[in-house]
Amino acid sequence: MLALRLTLGAQPAVQIRRLLVAGASGGTGFLLLSALGHAMSHPDPAASALRLAWCTAPLAATVYLAVAVARTDPATRPRPGLSAVGLGPVKLMAISAATTAASCLLGSVLALLVFLQLRGDLTGMPLGGGAQQFLAAGRPLPLPAALTLLALVPLSASAAVAVSLRPREPVTGAGRAARAYGRFGAYRRTPALESFGAYGRFGRQLGAAARGRRTVTEAPAREEDGTQDEAAEETADGSPAVVPPPVPTAAPSGLPWGVAVLAVGLAVEALTSRTGSEGSPAAFLGLALTSLGLALVGPGLAHLCGRLLQAVRPGALRLLAGRVLMTEATRIGRPLGVVCAVVSAAYAMASLHDRDDPSAGPLVVLGVLLVAGCTVATLLTAAVEAKQAHADTTASLRRLGAPAGTLRRAAALRAVALLALFGPLTVAVAELSAWPLGG
Amino acid sequence: MVAPPDNDVLWARALHFRHEDGSPGLSGVSLGVREGEILAVSGPRGSGKSTLLRCLSGLVRADDGEVWFNSVPVHTMGPAARERLRRDRFGWIDPAPVLVPELNVWENAALPLMLRGTGRRRAKAAALEWLERLDVGDRARKHPVELTHAERQRVCIARALAPAPSVLFADEPTAPLHRVDRAHVLRTLTTAARSHGITVVLATHEAQTAALADRTVSLLDGRCVRTVHLPPVSGPAESEGRAACSLSV
Repeated sequence: MLALRLTLGAQPAVQIRRLLVAGASGGTGFLLLSALGHAMSHPDPAASALRLAWCTAPLAATVYLAVAVARTDPATRPRPGLSAVGLGPVKLMAISAATTAASCLLGSVLALLVFLQLRGDLTGMPLGGGAQQFLAAGRPLPLPAALTLLALVPLSASAAVAVSLRPREPVTGAGRAARAYGRFGAYRRTPALESFGAYGRFGRQLGAAARGRRTVTEAPAREEDGTQDEAAEETADGSPAVVPPPVPTAAPSGLPWGVAVLAVGLAVEALTSRTGSEGSPAAFLGLALTSLGLALVGPGLAHLCGRLLQAVRPGALRLLAGRVLMTEATRIGRPLGVVCAVVSAAYAMASLHDRDDPSAGPLVVLGVLLVAGCTVATLLTAAVEAKQAHADTTASLRRLGAPAGTLRRAAALRAVALLALFGPLTVAVAELSAWPLGG
Repeated sequence: MVAPPDNDVLWARALHFRHEDGSPGLSGVSLGVREGEILAVSGPRGSGKSTLLRCLSGLVRADDGEVWFNSVPVHTMGPAARERLRRDRFGWIDPAPVLVPELNVWENAALPLMLRGTGRRRAKAAALEWLERLDVGDRARKHPVELTHAERQRVCIARALAPAPSVLFADEPTAPLHRVDRAHVLRTLTTAARSHGITVVLATHEAQTAALADRTVSLLDGRCVRTVHLPPVSGPAESEGRAACSLSV
């Protein structure tokens, strides 16, 4: 009930995002029901299973969108006041999952109603024509199967939301520095190159400096940091001490993997086109690998984009734009990579399918629209999340007198830079993958 | 409309402010800030200190009353002009150090200068100089998350001082700190302001901080008051309580 009350009392923007989730869930539910109808009206189980398998793409896109929307939901953000009345992080996670389930259930019910309406179960006038083969009008709908399929989206979406929003304890105590791998058997980090000659001649093994910065200066400093922060938090009269959010300074590690997977995917596609086995599972494997590679490459490329933006003596504008993009690389880059993957895959599929018979036309269009819409909505939601995460900093900059125009221009610069990098990349990959498939 | 006296760099008359939700903020505050002085605005929490500072610095517009800065009326300016004034002539220190977490320390300190259009090299030199003066020069290449709270607050002070503002507004800059850090931060702030002739308006709720200032204006419930009367002590039980309290201090 509390989840429902919180859901109803939200801002219009939040409600629109939830309605998007409901719409996506409805579309996915309709596609699942269509697969069921196809199975009822066709004796061949393999074709129906293939249709059901294709439904995983919209399902995944819907779940992705639901998680992104739940992350930006202001009603379920941890708040000190709510924690005091018993709404801790765990309860908030449960509320988030319940809210997501509610929106998805709404969509599923709508999908069921539309499906029944088209079948003619409600009005007695079934839709004719090519839709007959997936509606299976005239046969009784097996209710348990329909309900199982419809429950798939809400259950998976809530589970994903619960997992992604589960309360995590911050790592307590001094974190261990990442281990540096040096020469064979070297576990300690030395400040300078320690060749054998230097070791032997200057007696570096005897001095404290040779034992590494970590043991000599860094460890006490870190310890002091911890106690100081705790002390500061205690003394805060009323408000807790503001500790800046941990900023990932290292680049996301997915770039080499993404490039490798992308290259393998393109190679597989080229190979299948040479061997003349178009439309075979191998070609689809290549396409899937290409898409996966693009999605993996996203964060790394976004980070690279930010790095390029702030390179070479940046002023305030490029500094703000580039550094924020470097920090937000994972948050923005991943949905952006997924959007690029979907676009290039859709392009390649379109070039593959234009000679096919348009038998399953409307369903394919619905599926493609669903996946594309969900990924774009996820990207926009991620942008909203990034903006929310930066609200404090932005307010502080405004108090300093930073012009609103500069901040807006920094955001625009980020968007343009991302577009300039990802647009040509998507087009290139789409052309490359469509070329062998199209023969 | 009478022009303010010449020796006051900042001058406010009969400021009235009501928050958006209707709760009263200021009711008729008048004060003048002289050139180069450190003025403490003291008073308990909720007495309108922060609101007064926000009105004086042009962050919000007072409902009624006048604010003059160097014989220029601030209360009639539009938002863009106030923003420019704030960027070019005023500095601001928050109660909690809010730094841009993506930039390192010297870039944070140089950011206001760069926002004004100063070149990167000069901005960096000024920022590093101020960081050195505030004892955080060795942390200049670290990120804010690696610093302690007091160090971050000192970086904030360096960031506010680096563009050499005419007036520096400090809204309880030492509230979340221990007393040792508090004294250090305040001493560096006041010393830097006096040596560079920067006018400081300092909001604080404790008498020790106010003692560092040249002059103190007391606020209570949104009004300027001369003295703040404590409730009288009556009865032996309460005086015993007082004694125990004073022992614990």
